[in-house]
Amino acid sequence: MSLLKIQDVVTAYGKIEALKGVSLEVAPGSITCLLGPNGAGKTTLMMTVAGILKPRKGGISFAGEEIAGRAPHDIVARGVALVPENRLVFPAMTVLENLLAGAYQRGDKKAVAEDIDRMYARFPRLRERSAQHAGTLSGGEQQMLAVARALMSRPRLLLMDEPSLGLAPLVVEEIFRIIAELHRDGVSIFFVEQNAHMALKVAQHFFLIEQGRISFSGTPGALAEDEVIRRAYLGSAQQ
Amino acid sequence: MLADLIQNTLDGLSIGAAYALLALGFTLIFGVLRRANLSYGAAIMFGCYCATWTHLNFGAGLLLLAAITVAGTVLAGAYVERLCFAPHRGGSMIAAMVASFALWMQFEELVTLVMPTHLYAFPALYEGAPLAFGPYTLRVDALVMFGAAIAACALLWGTLYRTRFGLAVRAVTEQPAAASLAGINLPWVYVRVFALASAIGGVAGYLVVASHGQITPMLGMWSTLKGLLAMMLGGLGSLPGAVVGGLALGLLEAHSQWFLGPQLRDLIAYLLLFVLLAARVPWMHTRSAS
Amino acid sequence: MDAYTIGVLTNIGLFSFVALSAYLLLVAGELSFGQQAFFGVGAYAGGIFTAMYGWPLPLAALAAMTLGALAQFLVGLPTLRLRGLYFAMSTLAAAEMARILFELLHFQREVKGELTGPDGTQGFRGIRWIFEHGIEPIDYLGMVVGLLAVVLAGFFLVERSRLGATLRGVGQDPELAASLGIDIQRVKLGVAAAAGALAALGGVLYAHHNTYIEPRNFDIMLGVHSLAYALIGGLGTAFGPLLGVVLDIGALEGSRVFHDYRMIVFGGLVALLLVFRPRGLLDERMVRWLRARLP
Ligand SMILES: Nc1ncnc2c1ncn2[C@@H]1O[C@H](COP(=O)(O)OP(=O)(O)OP(=O)(O)O)[C@@H](O)[C@H]1O
Ligand SMILES: [Mg+2]
Repeated sequence: MSLLKIQDVVTAYGKIEALKGVSLEVAPGSITCLLGPNGAGKTTLMMTVAGILKPRKGGISFAGEEIAGRAPHDIVARGVALVPENRLVFPAMTVLENLLAGAYQRGDKKAVAEDIDRMYARFPRLRERSAQHAGTLSGGEQQMLAVARALMSRPRLLLMDEPSLGLAPLVVEEIFRIIAELHRDGVSIFFVEQNAHMALKVAQHFFLIEQGRISFSGTPGALAEDEVIRRAYLGSAQQ
Repeated sequence: MLADLIQNTLDGLSIGAAYALLALGFTLIFGVLRRANLSYGAAIMFGCYCATWTHLNFGAGLLLLAAITVAGTVLAGAYVERLCFAPHRGGSMIAAMVASFALWMQFEELVTLVMPTHLYAFPALYEGAPLAFGPYTLRVDALVMFGAAIAACALLWGTLYRTRFGLAVRAVTEQPAAASLAGINLPWVYVRVFALASAIGGVAGYLVVASHGQITPMLGMWSTLKGLLAMMLGGLGSLPGAVVGGLALGLLEAHSQWFLGPQLRDLIAYLLLFVLLAARVPWMHTRSAS
Repeated sequence: MDAYTIGVLTNIGLFSFVALSAYLLLVAGELSFGQQAFFGVGAYAGGIFTAMYGWPLPLAALAAMTLGALAQFLVGLPTLRLRGLYFAMSTLAAAEMARILFELLHFQREVKGELTGPDGTQGFRGIRWIFEHGIEPIDYLGMVVGLLAVVLAGFFLVERSRLGATLRGVGQDPELAASLGIDIQRVKLGVAAAAGALAALGGVLYAHHNTYIEPRNFDIMLGVHSLAYALIGGLGTAFGPLLGVVLDIGALEGSRVFHDYRMIVFGGLVALLLVFRPRGLLDERMVRWLRARLP
């Protein structure tokens, strides 16, 4: 059974349909990657799953329960967390407060404190900057904070929208190392990425979205073999 | 001369503290909803008239009157939220603002229908002689107003920076999309912020009316204008800015009134706002208000 | 027609000009809380020209409109780049300054043995041009309606022209408009001047209808009412603001039933209406629907 099942989802901005009937499935315990050119609808899909955008048609089920059209806080409560595009940290709140906000729905103070310690162990830079305003962090640090904030809700499925966007190569490496680590700890991950080379190293399944439709679904091997995709997303380096 | 300056400064700080409260209420609502609530002052006036009516018909102690003012303002605020803001979430800013103006008209007519005299006496905070310190006098009611306003600010501060609800309010103010992704229930926050802001407005209204010892329907427009002015001066959507803006407005008014008279006092406040807006001073452009 | 009806109709006509000026700015994407200032400039200037200097009303009206246009142009120059609430607050600040300046304005001279002119908070009495020239109320109503018809015709011509499309484009998607090479600041300054002239025209007519004006007539209540008229009537056509004024002044002032709690009824209706039609009764969709069905 799949953890996340999206069926014929249509999402529109006014009259313009950004998703024109998207269907895909994410297996439990997997790392799944969504590839696609600019404006294909990747962010729209993530926001629709997270409940920020309401689908006009179609169904989304998570762990067997229908979540399409539910409020975002409700979807978080069910175990789905999204690290949004451009991170969107709370700039005038401290790093610690950002993490606390991520645990907003949890009543168990002690467990939250332990989780914060765990985040600090995983992201030592955040511990150093605990009392600093998030707006003063570097791009890479903000991305770490956004990931840590999402993890504070203890999600079963972590959605990430272009986590490597605008970051230096070393930081990108670190992000991918963390993705692999989280996966080992049992979190399922569904992420958007334009950097197909990096994605190939961690993801077990790929979807390609183009103009609001899924145009490819397959394993890393199948992806690398597809001539057209290879040219568009992997460039010459993979020959 | 020096004595006058000091006296004016004291007076300015005391009315400025009330402005700060008004601006805080506006800022809270603007911060989370990105909309100006034009009937904010009218709701405060409604609350104050509730207290006046109770006082006239039954008589009541100062604390009870304060409680009635706050309760009346929160009630009026709830009505405004349901009718003007809840339906326009994520929708038209102009529609919400015009709707809130329409309710302002309602409140104003309602109070003049029930209490048709233009001016009513309101039990004063303190009726004894002012305190004298050498050449300076200090009106006790001004002192009480200052103290109470500072206490209310402190309480609000504690709420916003030390509680779970406060964390949610700040998160929604800064980054609404990320706040809902963090699991914060936005409509829930909106409704409570509206109630909180109305309660603060009620406190401010009570302090102003009780220190003047009288009330007229002009209180509505007065509170809205002063609150907007102080909020804009301090920087739209910034909570510390609202306090600074309120105190600055109070000081500016007290001094310019002394030197130039009441008409120029108001002129200067608006001129300052206009010039600062036109010059786009950085602290005023903290939030997207478009 | 009885005098009361004529009075109500004339008022509807007068306030339609300010409502139209608020509408014009809204169409171009700007929210103004300050149209009362230019209405006031028109009222004071028109009154000064006719009552103090004996100019004929048409000339005074033209001069007052020019001043109104100039005033709003100058106010807009440093502020039209501001967006949303920032611009709205700048218009409110400007308008309150204007009102206070009217309060400070003491400028009188002797005309026919009588001291005439603005006298601060005491107001400005004796703007009697239409009575001195034997114009009956019904004829004055005719003038107001005639002018309104001319202005509306102007609006419809513009709405059907490329300029109209430009205006709506600037109002609804300024980034797109700018990318098409439209100089947004210039368009908005033009709109501001036109709105100032319109409001001033309303002000001149108001002053001569009432014969007496005072600074309080031009407070924020008038400004927000104009905005409300424009919005509830609808942003789809220039008939919208007219409909708004008619609903308020006409239906409610006219009907004696509601007279005592007119604002309670009207305020509630406006708020409810906006829940269902946030861009007013005659919004763009309604206008398109009507156009398709009317010849
Ligand atoms: N708020 C919006 N209003 C209108 N159209 C939008 C909006 N956001 C996105 N779109 C349109 O929807 C389509 C999909 O956008 P989306 O942001 O989902 O793409 P994306 O795949 O995430 O692109 P990118 O790689 O640039 O992040 C695009 O054509 C875009 O122009
Ligand atoms: Mg995207």
